[in-house]
Amino acid sequence: MCVVEIDGCPKLELACATAVKDGMDVRTGTDRGCEARRVVLEFLLAEHPLDCPVCDKAGECRLQDYYQDHGLFASRFNEAKTKRAKLVPIGKSLLLDRERCILCTRCVRFLEDITRTHELGVFERGNRSEVGTREDREVATNYAGNLVDLCPVGAITDREFRFSTRAWFLKRSASFCPLCGRGCEIWIDQHPGFARTVRSKRIYRVRPKENPRRNGPWMCAAGRRGFAVLDSHRIDQIFRIKDGRRTILTWDKGLHWAALKLEELSAKGHSGRIAVVLNSFLSNEELFLARRLFRDSLHVGSLAFLDPEPGIPDGFLLTSQRSSNRRGARELGFDPAPPDWDRIAETAELLLLFAHPLLDAAAKGPIEKAWNRVRTRILVTPRESGLEAGADVILPSALPAEKPGSWTNIDGSSSAFESALESPGEALAEWRILTGLARELRIDGMAGLESIGRVREDCLRMHPFFKVT
Amino acid sequence: MTVKDGARFAIEVLRGGLITARHFAVNMARHSLRAIGIRTRRTGAVTIQYPEARKQVPSRHRSLHRLLTRPDGRPRCVACMLCLTVCPSECISVEADEDPDPEIQKTPIRFEIDLSRCCFCGFCVEACPEDAIRMDTGILEWGRLGRDDLRIEIWPGPGPGRKI
Amino acid sequence: MEILITLIKIVGTLVWFLTLTLYLTWVERKESAVIQDRIGANRASILGIRAFGLFQPLADAVKMIFKQDFVPAFSDRILHSLAPFLSFFFVAVTITAVPFGDSLRIAGRTVALQVIDGSAGLIFILAMLSMGIYGILLGGWASRNRYSLLGGMRGAAQLISYEVALGFSLVGLVMVFPSLRLSDIVAFQGGLLFGFLPRWGVFLQPLGFALFFIAALAETKRVPFDLPEGESEIIGFFTEYGGLKWGLFMMTDFMEIIVMSALMTTLYFGGWQVPWLGPGGFHFPWGGEWPLPRGAVVALQVASFNIKVVFGCWLQILIRWTYPRLRYDQLMDLGWKILVPLGFANIGLTAVLIGVLS
Ligand code: SF4
Ligand code: SF4
Ligand code: SF4
Repeated sequence: MCVVEIDGCPKLELACATAVKDGMDVRTGTDRGCEARRVVLEFLLAEHPLDCPVCDKAGECRLQDYYQDHGLFASRFNEAKTKRAKLVPIGKSLLLDRERCILCTRCVRFLEDITRTHELGVFERGNRSEVGTREDREVATNYAGNLVDLCPVGAITDREFRFSTRAWFLKRSASFCPLCGRGCEIWIDQHPGFARTVRSKRIYRVRPKENPRRNGPWMCAAGRRGFAVLDSHRIDQIFRIKDGRRTILTWDKGLHWAALKLEELSAKGHSGRIAVVLNSFLSNEELFLARRLFRDSLHVGSLAFLDPEPGIPDGFLLTSQRSSNRRGARELGFDPAPPDWDRIAETAELLLLFAHPLLDAAAKGPIEKAWNRVRTRILVTPRESGLEAGADVILPSALPAEKPGSWTNIDGSSSAFESALESPGEALAEWRILTGLARELRIDGMAGLESIGRVREDCLRMHPFFKVT
Repeated sequence: MTVKDGARFAIEVLRGGLITARHFAVNMARHSLRAIGIRTRRTGAVTIQYPEARKQVPSRHRSLHRLLTRPDGRPRCVACMLCLTVCPSECISVEADEDPDPEIQKTPIRFEIDLSRCCFCGFCVEACPEDAIRMDTGILEWGRLGRDDLRIEIWPGPGPGRKI
Repeated sequence: MEILITLIKIVGTLVWFLTLTLYLTWVERKESAVIQDRIGANRASILGIRAFGLFQPLADAVKMIFKQDFVPAFSDRILHSLAPFLSFFFVAVTITAVPFGDSLRIAGRTVALQVIDGSAGLIFILAMLSMGIYGILLGGWASRNRYSLLGGMRGAAQLISYEVALGFSLVGLVMVFPSLRLSDIVAFQGGLLFGFLPRWGVFLQPLGFALFFIAALAETKRVPFDLPEGESEIIGFFTEYGGLKWGLFMMTDFMEIIVMSALMTTLYFGGWQVPWLGPGGFHFPWGGEWPLPRGAVVALQVASFNIKVVFGCWLQILIRWTYPRLRYDQLMDLGWKILVPLGFANIGLTAVLIGVLS
């Protein structure tokens, strides 16, 4: 499909297979070139099934686009189309449809050149050639999901996304994957929903967004699957829990209550009995605000970081660090050390815990001891973390994709992002919670920081390191 | 307004009154003649006395939707969601699943229409590539007392949601 | 004895008035239907007898009575309840001054077919009609709903404006007629003009009649002058009413139609007079004579009055189903810039004519 006319070459050339030379004169729109591409397209379509109504790729299919651009012809193919296998499992929840495959071999080359795992190959020859797995090995790489994206047609589909909706209903918004230290740039595809139709979920899929200096056009399976999972079990109300009974509060009341407790201790000079636990999913701006509020203004006794356990890196994109902004925390002068729960349990009277979105019932084990011994417990969390029952006040926060901010990845490169999704119900971004607390506590010097732009400016002035390049 | 305009206005007002008066007189005469048993060429009213008399519905009239089936009784619909896409009222909702037949591939497991929103434009019928949905049931009386009762499931219905 | 007769007259008049009102709603429905090629209400039935929907008013009344008597929590309870009764009352009393027929002699007594024959009957009717404004204003005010209030204000402004026009249109008539007493006015119209034409107000005061008629239409607050209500779009003064109280407002409207029609009959169409019918029978101007007994004459006169009133109602309903509503500025223009100046012109013209002729 990429034939072009090059001055000085008698024949049409394949653009993808021709090296660029100085002084080369390439014409893409000549009649000869267009006609040639049209003919190629006709051959591609000759045996292509008319699956568009049921094909997941429809709407973002390159073949459809080309047909719009070049073709719009009626089929001249009178012979019966060859029947081929339509539901071939090739592993990692991928399905191959051999009728739809146009044998571009992108999938094969991806597994050879990028992941070097060589699971797929083209077998047989001529009209009978087909894509298949080698020696019945399954595609098991962590990057298998990319095959769905790179297949130009709907030949490789993902069981998870398959048939759940149509591509044109999805609204994409750019964001960054928070799940490891790499910070891949991603598209989040969400269904905006219909007025009276319940959509089964909000985020339908997560795709890589091309970023040549970070993730290229790829992303790993952890990001793809993990992200959508974050959108479950959200907390969208402010709760006050007293004697096991939950009452719903407004933000004003909730923040006021929290600020009152903080003020009680700090006014008596007992700031040392305040423990604040942050996490490294917070953006640079939020950490900046937290530093000014808790360390510089309130002088709290202990300031620690609660992060997911490090995982095993896969040598390509996925890092061992499983949160997004440890580097940023370090640059801001924090030591993102895990909290010493025993010390907190002994010394702290008030514990303000910023739970990270991956904190769930399974991960809460060591926290619980301290959590139950501290007198006042304020929980800021985007999702149900298993700690709600013991909290005095629950302040719902936003997922990373739901707020503007910036992160610094493991290599020290910073990236700014805007909010890609709406936060559900009353949930607020942590930076709004922090500025709200500062307002309630009437902290000098934090009065003007009411918009993310102002916070960003301040943060950048003091830490030029975070400049996005 | 000049005097001339005023006069013309008054004349038109009078003429308007005369038109209604004429309607009254003519229709009244027709009603009276029919009441005493004399048949007039036309009736005094065009009213159709609805529950007793019914209007002949034209064959292309759009009434309640239905899903057509294949010979084996399964729906022709392949859950392509094109009807859902074209629907200006956003009132269709389709849930798709894998069809046991790999040739058909996709099949609806739930096909719901919210009649409280549907404007009976028939776009869904036009858009369907499989000729799977039609609006030719002739069912026009589907009024319900609650909004939720108007969300009718036309596949796999008649199910609990469908009370027609 | 006098009191008894008066009581009987009051009851008789009220029964006549209310029955006519009730059936006017049926007439309105049927007439509009016939005009619009429809059939109209015909489903109310008793024991399966539909009788052209004649039971519809009864069904409506039953419905209205059994509806919840709803008073909005924010309204002024007393005034809110008072308003429809005020409206109703002031319209209901006007009918007492209207003469239905010549006086009867029963058992040596002269019984006038009229409840009160005041010496200023005309003024009394006008005064009572003006009082109706209070019902509207109170209704709008007591609802504590700003749209209702606006509707009430619109209503008051409209009624006051057109009362002026109504008054001016009548001045010419008062100049021509010998008295303000309505029975005298009707008796005067029994005479002849040029020897053959009944001396009816409409022939003496054609311009005055036209002005009176338009102003009277506006006084009834119905289309094309229904700015106080405008149920469907501009929201009127009785938005916060329901059930029987709303029904009273509605009835007031229909009663106003009848009153206006009766007034028109009395002032411009000779009241109960039948052309060329004297106390002893017909005296045709071309020389014929047809003597009739006294009872027949009175019956004819009462029938004549009723026919004229019913025709007046029919005409008003016809107009209501013909014309679209005036805009508010057009309404005011029509009242102040056309009807009032024309009323003045009519007075001047009448004065000049009277001067020249006498
Ligand atoms: S990328 Fe898709 S179309 Fe190309 S060879 Fe692989 S399966 Fe076939
Ligand atoms: S008739 Fe129109 S509005 Fe109704 S479901 Fe079909 S497309 Fe939607
Ligand atoms: S357009 Fe036709 S085939 Fe597609 S989902 Fe609607 S009814 Fe089914």
